[in-house]
Amino acid sequence: MKFSENWLREWTSPDWTTEQLSEELSLAGLEVDDVEPVAGAFTNVVVGHVLSVEKHPDADKLNVTQVDVGDVEPVQIVCGAKNVVAGMKACCAKVGAVLPGDFKIKKAKLRGVPSHGMLCGASEIGLPDDGVDGLHVLPNDAPVGMDLREYLDLNDSSIDVDLTPNRADCFSVMGIARDVHAISGAELKTPFSENDMAGTADCQVAIEVTDAVACPKYLGCTVTGFNTQAQTPLWMKQRLERSGLRPLSLVVDITNYVLLEMGQPMHAFDLNKLQGAVQVRKANAGEKLTTLDEKEVVLEDDTLVIADDSGAIALAGIMGGLSTSVTDDTTAIFFECAHFNRLAITGKARKYGLHTDSSMRFERGVDPLLPERALNRALALFTEVAGGEVSKVNAVISDENLPKAAVITLRKETLDKRLGVEVDSQQVNDIFQRLGFGVEENAAGWNMHAPSYRFDMAIEMDLVEEVGRVFGYNNLPETPLHAPMTLNELPESEQELMALKIALVQRGYNEVVTYSFVEESKQKCLAPDLPYVLVQNPISDDMKAMRTTLFPGLLQSVAYNQNRQQPRVRLFESGLVFYKNDQDPTGATQVPMIGGAVVGKVAASGWDETERAVDFFDVKGDVETLLRMSHQVGKIRFEACSHPALHPGQSASLIKDGKEVGIIGQLHPQWVKTMGVNGNVFLFQIRQDALMTMEVPCAEAISKFPEVQRDLAFVVENELSVQSLLDAVMVESDILRSVDIFDIYRGQGIGEDQKSVALTLKIQHQERTLQDDEVDQLVAQILESAKQKVNAVLR
Amino acid sequence: MREQLQTLISEAEEAIKSVTDLANLDEIRVQYLGKKGALTEVMKTLGKLSQEERPKAGQVINEAKQAVQGLLNDKKRELDNAKLMQKLAEETVDVTLPGRGVDLGSLHPVTRTLNRIETLFSKAGFDVETGPEIEDDWHNFEALNIPETHPARAMHDTFYINEKTVLRTHTSGVQIRTMENKQPPLRIIAPGRVYRCDSDQTHTPMFHQVEGLIVEKSASFAQLRALLIEFLKEFFEDENLKTRFRPSYFPFTEPSAEVDIATDLFGDGRWIEVLGCGMVHPNVLQNVGIDPDEYTGLAFGLGVERLAMLRYNVKDLRQFFENDLRFLQQFK
Repeated sequence: MKFSENWLREWTSPDWTTEQLSEELSLAGLEVDDVEPVAGAFTNVVVGHVLSVEKHPDADKLNVTQVDVGDVEPVQIVCGAKNVVAGMKACCAKVGAVLPGDFKIKKAKLRGVPSHGMLCGASEIGLPDDGVDGLHVLPNDAPVGMDLREYLDLNDSSIDVDLTPNRADCFSVMGIARDVHAISGAELKTPFSENDMAGTADCQVAIEVTDAVACPKYLGCTVTGFNTQAQTPLWMKQRLERSGLRPLSLVVDITNYVLLEMGQPMHAFDLNKLQGAVQVRKANAGEKLTTLDEKEVVLEDDTLVIADDSGAIALAGIMGGLSTSVTDDTTAIFFECAHFNRLAITGKARKYGLHTDSSMRFERGVDPLLPERALNRALALFTEVAGGEVSKVNAVISDENLPKAAVITLRKETLDKRLGVEVDSQQVNDIFQRLGFGVEENAAGWNMHAPSYRFDMAIEMDLVEEVGRVFGYNNLPETPLHAPMTLNELPESEQELMALKIALVQRGYNEVVTYSFVEESKQKCLAPDLPYVLVQNPISDDMKAMRTTLFPGLLQSVAYNQNRQQPRVRLFESGLVFYKNDQDPTGATQVPMIGGAVVGKVAASGWDETERAVDFFDVKGDVETLLRMSHQVGKIRFEACSHPALHPGQSASLIKDGKEVGIIGQLHPQWVKTMGVNGNVFLFQIRQDALMTMEVPCAEAISKFPEVQRDLAFVVENELSVQSLLDAVMVESDILRSVDIFDIYRGQGIGEDQKSVALTLKIQHQERTLQDDEVDQLVAQILESAKQKVNAVLR
Repeated sequence: MREQLQTLISEAEEAIKSVTDLANLDEIRVQYLGKKGALTEVMKTLGKLSQEERPKAGQVINEAKQAVQGLLNDKKRELDNAKLMQKLAEETVDVTLPGRGVDLGSLHPVTRTLNRIETLFSKAGFDVETGPEIEDDWHNFEALNIPETHPARAMHDTFYINEKTVLRTHTSGVQIRTMENKQPPLRIIAPGRVYRCDSDQTHTPMFHQVEGLIVEKSASFAQLRALLIEFLKEFFEDENLKTRFRPSYFPFTEPSAEVDIATDLFGDGRWIEVLGCGMVHPNVLQNVGIDPDEYTGLAFGLGVERLAMLRYNVKDLRQFFENDLRFLQQFK
């Protein structure tokens, strides 16, 4: 809602500067977005009358003018504007004037001819663009010599207020004035007299309302015999412009003026184009209407229209139709001023793509008592400018369908408790009286009768807010919360996501946050088997599919950085992935994951490091770090797998309790180009829930007895995974402490399709020194198991 | 004999002086003090002397032996020391070269900011709750007092999955999920990703919020003020931070407010909006079966990127989601 400050001050004018006014409006909940002076800062510019224009003797493009500026003698001014003509009224900066940008007007000579001042164009004095290349032309009746700021009412600002949806009552100068009155206490006055403008002749147009729920009040009357040449007065044009509306024609300007001033949308029809009675009804499905903006809309049967015998002639509360619109040739008018039910209008503007000042107000709510006053105001303005005969007002009113003003109980106890301060009862009375409520005190508090325009008032808390708002939120005390005297839970068996993140950071990973919606085609490459969910209205086509894997986002970030001269990239992300699942109330199973992507050299930089590129085992080490931190070593196992996103020879599933909880591997070379990345990119992702439980340590005594170490080298089939050998070697035993790999060997002395895996066994008894035969027995058992299970033989 | 010994000592001294390594030195030791060494040989002549002469002569020989041993010891110390010096010189490194294995990544500034917010509130007894990001109509709108026809719906720029599910437009839905499952009194914060169908210089289609909720028997607006003012001062580490509460409108709170801050640290002292808050609307409490006459709710919603931008001097919102390493690495 944009409005002229001077217009507002006609209704109520607290002793505040423009800055104070805008601050106070914001603090009352009417957030000021912008304050713009209507003209630049200038002085000493007056209405000038150009008496004569002669060619400059020495310059083709200049003229020498004599200008009456209201002083005894006219002044001579050299002027370069194309549109300067004798007899015109123009803005004249006198010698001594200061124009915007601190531009001082002095006596001067232009090509030898003295010039005492300057005739100005709109941009030179900071007026809105008037579309003229040259001087800003003033009306012929502008009083010569009058200060321009006074004549054009330029000591004014346009104030733009961003209204919240509940404050539709402030969609007018009058509404803002009511709130300013409430917060400042400054007098509120209606700056015009409210007379009943209805005439004596019957209104020729009958009104038939078939849907009184949607339209509980419809007023109409005609005006005939007016001056068709009458123009919108300058002051009205200015106010419209300063409130963001373009002046169009007298009738439209007047309805717009009343809309801005009082908040009541109206419509004017050309009386001579109406056929029969005016009807307010639901549209017939498929009925067509060409609106004022020359757009043909096909109506649905839930849409309220104004119609006559020819069919729909207006979209009720939204926009009039072209066929009955007022034009320059109009000689008789039918004014409509109605109250439409909010719900009858809501959503229709959006449906037809016709957002108007009218629909915006009706959607949010208009004062049901306003139509009578607004119609009178419009008729008064119209007849004042153009004369004419006003008919009687035809009114169809359904009282039972008009919104009722709320009566709400406010308990003193609730008010004080909720705000956290004891508010003086008299102050409460004052606040609500100024807000236009009927105040009725009782033992426990009040019964408050909301004014008809405050349809946002429904419950006690609404009144609590009004008190807080007018009292001033910032005048309320600051009271600390009561501290609970209980200790927080501190479960030690739960892993913290932050700890895992920091571990990755310490291993050189940078955390990224990528969009949860990804390119559908890429997701299909990387996770073809996972059912996914689509966004109906994506921001763009490549952000349509909800991710089922973190890989597309990670790879996009890798590509982004590789394209910016960052060959070494280590990234991780944590966040949800979404698997389509119709059984879930949200339609998707939403799983927190943590994943990473790594490419480039293994070391950040180094003066003696090898130049080796990162490989599978580097990344596996990072993943194993996470597993170790969460005590998952041995519980989560790596198994070779084939995954559509990954290199078939370098990919593993992470298996916990027989279920896959993660994957790791090299991006399949076939996708390198598709994903826009370079080099061998290694990826991993793990379900967070697999990493979130830990064990509380339970220390065991350190054995005082010597540890025996035995090294065994096994020869196995090349294909055999080392994990299988380890599984076979880890026999059930109280004394086998650990098995570690210390060498893998292929080549001389070993069969072509075989490898040697050398293991170190550590053997120790908790309570005594081991005998040689006990150790030998264990080793024999291990050799037997290795032979049996994986056909391993001692080298 | 005395002269003979003196000559031997002089000879030994000469020999020791010219030695440059420990092996040669040992040869000299053997030459004089070994089993067949020159001094040992002299000692053997003691037997030929009379009972009276022996002790005297023995002492003289011993003194000679000690003298040679002393010379040997001195030389050995000298050689040992030289060897150590050489070893140290060989092992000297350029200590100004960088250390090995330093490879520190970075936490995303959003995570860093969330962590700060969570830490501050957890000290006041707030638990962290999370919720789904694909959310049903009930939790995102309906239960929060935003019915189908509410004008606020149009303001939300919602991403729809279908008629009944959306990408959550705010973290406020976690309020509902928490109150459905837990009994008051409650103090929670709910951090997370939210989505709005809007993308330009100052909007990204995904961003982060932290929702806060308190449900207690005597919670008041004055307490909400105290909590948020203190939070903002602590978050920005500015005791002189100015705050102002402006009345606003959210369907799920009544009264509602927006909070602006002004500080000399950034923004030239202009008012900058940082959060929305209010007292939970009675309809919302009723929707989850809490009696609004018995309990009062306080709620607030923080825009995480906005706070991060102010705190860390980030000028362009979109940088948070470009994931440029040159940006991320500034948050080590």
